[in-house]
Amino acid sequence: MQIYNDYKDHADFLTVYVREAHPTDEWQMKSNVKEDVCYAQPKTLEQRIAIANDFVQRQKYPVPFGIDDMTNAANDAYSAWPERIYIIDEQGKIAYAGGMGPFNYHPEEARAWLAARYGEVKHDPPMPPYRESDG
Amino acid sequence: MWIWIAAVLAVLLIAAVVGLSVMAGSPKDAYGMLRYALPHMHRGKLKPGDAAPDASLLTLNGQERFHIHDRINRAGGRPLMVVFGSYT
Repeated sequence: MQIYNDYKDHADFLTVYVREAHPTDEWQMKSNVKEDVCYAQPKTLEQRIAIANDFVQRQKYPVPFGIDDMTNAANDAYSAWPERIYIIDEQGKIAYAGGMGPFNYHPEEARAWLAARYGEVKHDPPMPPYRESDG
Repeated sequence: MWIWIAAVLAVLLIAAVVGLSVMAGSPKDAYGMLRYALPHMHRGKLKPGDAAPDASLLTLNGQERFHIHDRINRAGGRPLMVVFGSYT
């Protein structure tokens, strides 16, 4: 989301929602239970749409959104599962093809591509937490 | 002789199970990875310079469709960053 906020004046963004990576009826992770993100793998389009909407509402996700239907056409065309980033240039060509997540999913590479074109956007380091002993 | 071959294979199998379990986090995660993740993992063939494939997508309300190519801003000269993922 930080990349979106930093470069939305220069580039367009699209999030494509694909099949679940860690549903409850397949390979559920402990982190999903801890974060209360527990959904079965959608068997119908309505179920996938419902989870996508849950995500957008719970995360207050501002990025433009599209949902892959149950044919998984977008997922298959882009070898997207479980997560992947691409940048498509103005001519409709792939300008950046990210690796397959999670281990080769590097948003900082996409940021570097945008920074090379539009300049780097720096952020102040986060303030340390307040402590009473600080006065 | 066959006993030795069977023993070596058994040791290799145990090593593989242990290795996968360590990598995935637990034997349950190793099973999950092999059973559910591996069939869907594809290295991908797209590389810079390739034509971006098109695909039809649904809007969040599920009522309208659009294509990935619709979002390519050819006239405006803006690149399109596409992030694929899910909630879980």
